Amino acid sequence: MQVDISIINTYLLMVTLVAMIANFVLSLYGVFFKPHYIKKIIALSMLSDTANTITLYIGYRRWVDGVPPTIPVITNRSIEGIYDVVRRSVDPLPPALVLTAVVIGLATTLFLVYLGYILYTHYKTLDMREIKRLKG
Amino acid sequence: MADYLLHIVGMATPILVLLSFAIPVISKAFKSKRAPFVAAMIGGIYAAVASVLALYMVYKDNSPLVYMYGGWPPHFGIAYEIDYFNGLIGVFTALTMLAIMLYSLWYEHHIDEPTWYFALLLGLEAGILGCLYTGDAFNLFVMIEVLSISAYGLVAYHRDRPEAVEAAAKYILIGAVATIMYFIAVVLLYAGFGTVNMAILSRIAMRPELPQSLKYLAMLSISLALWVFTYKSALFPNHFWLPDAHPEAPTPISAALSGLVVNVGVYASARFLYTLFGDGSAVSGYREFVLLALFVLGTVSGVLGALMMMIQRDVKRLLAYSTICHIGIIYVGLAAGFAIGSAEAVKLALMGTSIHIVAHGISKAVLFMASGIFIDATGSRDLDAMKGVGRRYPLASLSLILGFLNLAGLIPFMGFYSKLLIALSYLKIGFVLGTILIIVISALSIPGYMKAISAIVFGVGEAKEGRVAGRWVEVMLLIMSLSTLFIGIFFQQAAYIFDYSSNSLVSGVQNYVDAVIKKIPPELRGWIP
Repeated sequence: MQVDISIINTYLLMVTLVAMIANFVLSLYGVFFKPHYIKKIIALSMLSDTANTITLYIGYRRWVDGVPPTIPVITNRSIEGIYDVVRRSVDPLPPALVLTAVVIGLATTLFLVYLGYILYTHYKTLDMREIKRLKG
Repeated sequence: MADYLLHIVGMATPILVLLSFAIPVISKAFKSKRAPFVAAMIGGIYAAVASVLALYMVYKDNSPLVYMYGGWPPHFGIAYEIDYFNGLIGVFTALTMLAIMLYSLWYEHHIDEPTWYFALLLGLEAGILGCLYTGDAFNLFVMIEVLSISAYGLVAYHRDRPEAVEAAAKYILIGAVATIMYFIAVVLLYAGFGTVNMAILSRIAMRPELPQSLKYLAMLSISLALWVFTYKSALFPNHFWLPDAHPEAPTPISAALSGLVVNVGVYASARFLYTLFGDGSAVSGYREFVLLALFVLGTVSGVLGALMMMIQRDVKRLLAYSTICHIGIIYVGLAAGFAIGSAEAVKLALMGTSIHIVAHGISKAVLFMASGIFIDATGSRDLDAMKGVGRRYPLASLSLILGFLNLAGLIPFMGFYSKLLIALSYLKIGFVLGTILIIVISALSIPGYMKAISAIVFGVGEAKEGRVAGRWVEVMLLIMSLSTLFIGIFFQQAAYIFDYSSNSLVSGVQNYVDAVIKKIPPELRGWIP
């Protein structure tokens, strides 16, 4: 039985898109308006995850002839095989970009957490409203 | 032969990163306290040689230099591209960084963990050079992160000081958001244009029949990307972190951040608004709007920096506000591109901008390093406590005065010509307000400089006996200060290099694009318009 997949596909993509936009706004709100340092870090990693999801979303291919997209690997080295990969496979570059961004995000988060630890040893609090010895 | 030289230039950034990661191992292996410094110095000298070589090769071939990593043609692999504009800033950055590393040797009694200090310093240099030389929008993101992480780490270097940690926390929390925004901008560019190579993006953006949706996408990308660029260069609404972060860092790092790192944001803005989406590109109306907004923000930044400078008592905070003021002037010069149709005037303004980047960078590095000597002598950063200390260090005082005069724009200095050219170009455009604002900002900033000079050099205070050792540092600072004076005196002879560098942003964009397109094999070139 042939199910028309494209309606479900579009529906799910729309849900993802709306969820990502909501996530984006929420995480920006969290970074700027939540007073606690750890909550800011959580919002920041939410933001970077949202950015990564948007990137993966851009590399996504729709189903062709009722078949889901394939991985971008050429197994059949004939003209038809290459043509098939070009027609069906997902874009391999966005995952590569995401990989780089994830590693960088890990480093940033680690640094932030360590900085938070030192901040706590100095101020005995992580509430950013109370950490203002500097004039700005 | 030339190929061999090309590899020396192209491997500069990877070698600096490798050396940076090797420094902990090196210091374990050699046990000497100086080992990290020697390793960093090797990296700094290599970077200086490579950057000078790069500029020379651009000059010799009279076309932008393209280095393809792993031999992959552009757009399939990462390509670095050097023209006069980034080549010039690269040379100035590498040479100033060399001076900052030498100064770090003098400063080493404050550095309790030289291993991590020099590792981060080399990482910072790799990040700056990578940001300047890259011809790939995504690689720019990676390099901005390399630069940022090093800068965050160095600001928080004195981690036993609560203020330093707080400044770093403020800097990183918003900085990380800004770089994620740039990542989204690059991804959107890729989604719309199908490439992240700057030259190919520029070629596609030049197509007049670009679909409307792509234009909106490009506008969104420019807006998102400019946030991180203005954040890194501390333009007005994004300047809040700089007066905290720069003074709290160790003094050589203050010099590097204020003199070199802020230029990266300026450079990237220029790349986006002149090369990627330049004059006559598909987003032309929006581009002029953005440049006009940058003009307004630049003037606000200049006036704010100049006014805040007057009321500072802390010498390093005073210099930090001076940086905000000068970044404002640089952006005012950069923004001249909103005047369509007066290409000659825009070129003049960009020439002033590139001179001002160099003049401000050298002088600001000198001023921070000289004030470091005075801070060491008095044990305080307060200008009142420093009264008269400069008279015990005549060479450092002289370089301090020369540096302030250069920033103020006294006649034979470089800083005079840069402000003159920017002001003249606004006259040529017919936008007299720009000229007036440049003069107003310069005038407003003078009391701040005079305050610092009169307190440090001419003030009368209790003369503490004893003298911080290190005459060679003072001589080095004096040489750096004199270089701005000499470039100003021999401006007729030096002008052509700045002329070329501004040209590469205006009429040289075609060369920039063609140099990359030429490297792509013809059979893979078909889809590029």
